[in-house]
Amino acid sequence: MQKLKYVSTFGLIVLIALFFAVNDSTAEVGVTDNSILVGCSNSFSGPLVYPGTQLVNNGLEAYIGYINAQGGVHGRKILTQYYDDGYKPQNAVANTKRLVEQDKIFAVLASQGTGAVMATVKYLTQNKVPLLFPFQGVPISGQKTIFTSFTPYPNQSELVVTWLVKVKGFKRIGILYQDDKYGYTFRGPGEKTLQKLGLKWAAAESYKRGAKDLSAQVAKLRKANLDACLLVATPPPGATFLKEAHKQGWKNTKIISSGPLTDEKYINLSGGVGEGVWGLSLWPDPVNSQLPAVVEYRKIVDKYGKDKDKTPNRYSLYGYFYAKLFVEGLKKAGKNLTRESFIAALESIKNWESGMVPPVSFSASNHLSQNSGFMVEVQQGVFRPISGWITLKEGSLVPLKQ
Amino acid sequence: MQPSGKWKIWGWTGALVVLLILPLFLGKYSIFLLSLLAIYALVSLGLNLLMGYTGQIAAGHAGFLAIGAYVTAIFTANFEWVPCPLTLLLAGTVSGMIGFLLGIPILRLKGFYIAMATLAFGVVVSEIILQWSSVTGGDDGFSVPTARIGGFVFDSDFKLFYLIIPVTVIMTLLARNLVNGYIGRAFIALRESEIAAQTIGVDLAKYKTIAFAISAFYTGVAGGLFAYLITYLSPDAFTIELSVDFIAMIVIGGLGSIMGSIIGAVILTGMQQVLAGLQDLQILIFGLALIIFMIFMPRGIVGMLSDLKEKFI
Repeated sequence: MQKLKYVSTFGLIVLIALFFAVNDSTAEVGVTDNSILVGCSNSFSGPLVYPGTQLVNNGLEAYIGYINAQGGVHGRKILTQYYDDGYKPQNAVANTKRLVEQDKIFAVLASQGTGAVMATVKYLTQNKVPLLFPFQGVPISGQKTIFTSFTPYPNQSELVVTWLVKVKGFKRIGILYQDDKYGYTFRGPGEKTLQKLGLKWAAAESYKRGAKDLSAQVAKLRKANLDACLLVATPPPGATFLKEAHKQGWKNTKIISSGPLTDEKYINLSGGVGEGVWGLSLWPDPVNSQLPAVVEYRKIVDKYGKDKDKTPNRYSLYGYFYAKLFVEGLKKAGKNLTRESFIAALESIKNWESGMVPPVSFSASNHLSQNSGFMVEVQQGVFRPISGWITLKEGSLVPLKQ
Repeated sequence: MQPSGKWKIWGWTGALVVLLILPLFLGKYSIFLLSLLAIYALVSLGLNLLMGYTGQIAAGHAGFLAIGAYVTAIFTANFEWVPCPLTLLLAGTVSGMIGFLLGIPILRLKGFYIAMATLAFGVVVSEIILQWSSVTGGDDGFSVPTARIGGFVFDSDFKLFYLIIPVTVIMTLLARNLVNGYIGRAFIALRESEIAAQTIGVDLAKYKTIAFAISAFYTGVAGGLFAYLITYLSPDAFTIELSVDFIAMIVIGGLGSIMGSIIGAVILTGMQQVLAGLQDLQILIFGLALIIFMIFMPRGIVGMLSDLKEKFI
């Protein structure tokens, strides 16, 4: 009996020691001599399933597959692990903990959805796990380990309003917005910009998420006799708005779709009444652009993309682009890869030419990949550029080269 | 006490001890997962008291979870010095009171109309959270402060485990006593036949509203723990889908069974964990599994086990 007691005590101590031994390792998490493990929680079900599957399977996976086929970066293949959160914050937290603690990833790459991403920010920051290029437009700044992606919504709003007033000379500008965070991040900054220019919203109407009928809003906005009306919506209500405007014979006002709405999908949904709509595009046209980098994107997605639906779109382009930027960081970080060396490498990127969007530059204080866009118009069902790349510097428009 | 009863107690005590020392041997993620399981088990337990025992279909428990979570988060943010068990009690009480109030108009309804009313309740709660953004943070979400008792701060999943598990165990024991007592028998009587129950002197209105209140209390406390564990709340978390998941848990585990509630929560959450890594087939497998459970185990896993026991022993 006594012996048994000793044996079990010994066993217990060994187990505890093993537990700590496993946790203690000298190499960087997620990095071996011939591999790097990255991953993310994303939407493979739920409301954002299309963006999620395209972004991951035809974006990230396509470019990473292409790089791995060439032998990886500095002899390391890039391995990936994804989990579905269905746009639920609690699942995003669980998945992210699983990735960090069980799979031991090097960094989170391109997770998606404002709520889902924000839920993981505190945890990732505390554990010093890099959060790279999440697909969402609410600004996150001041975190050493976080690099954000496209032009944040407030900046998009400022950019569009400034362009309408300064370039087009519009005075009476109105807005229809979704009554939530997404809508407010356009309405508020837009209003500030108008004030600076000595104007205000000539009319502002809102609708509740998932609204099916926008006839009252359209009628009111139409009465306001606007030069332009910003449309901050998700694709189905956006399409409803266009149809309703068409039905009511509202013609003398330019309708301008917000950044994330500026997508072929919603124009298709509107059933041909989207002709002449303007919008701010953050990307070259994934389907029709003949830019060499975009042509290459279509080729690589076709060869390495993992989703059955390989139609080029803005989401797979997004995933592709940020996988490319991630690889650029890895190349710069060199053979001796750690999270610190990687962050330092990203911060040292200056004027990186992607051939798709204006050159990317980071610094110790600037972790934003893109702060620009260009205006487009729907012509024969396709978004055609009507301006070059523009950005804002201290309130004034600055043209950029691609 | 019978000898078998004695062994039972030893068995459960042993299981509890194993559960409590388990985190020493597990990775951080497994500890987190166990805590999440316990929270869902608590919700499932609360829902089972209402659906399984009393026979009222409730399809809006994500709403009660949200109330508990937001009450805890907002209260902790404003009164950080209050020990977290008290905050959890408050969360449960607020949720329970709302459950009680909801139970009153629902007295007039039966069967699927109750399901509709509770479903609507769930939607209303998340809409209120969204619109009342000055308090709840709306779409911005709400970053939950860490739980504490005096100077002790529950700032890791490991520490939170020792808050969540004891609360779950205590509430499970309470539920067990409840269903074995007068109230539990009244619930079951109501489920079997409202008229018969009334003729033997069970106050229909009283016990139905009590069932709603207790169920909401359990879910509210679970919501509080949920807030502490997840650390970030937003209305997106508390969808109809989540309410349906809770129903699936008790149906899989076994309606009208304490053990069934826990087993159901474990199986459903476990299944979701396994399936989270798949993409296309995820929903298909999940749906098929549910159908198989329904066909082969109409009374849930616990029901099947007791059938087997009767057959072979």
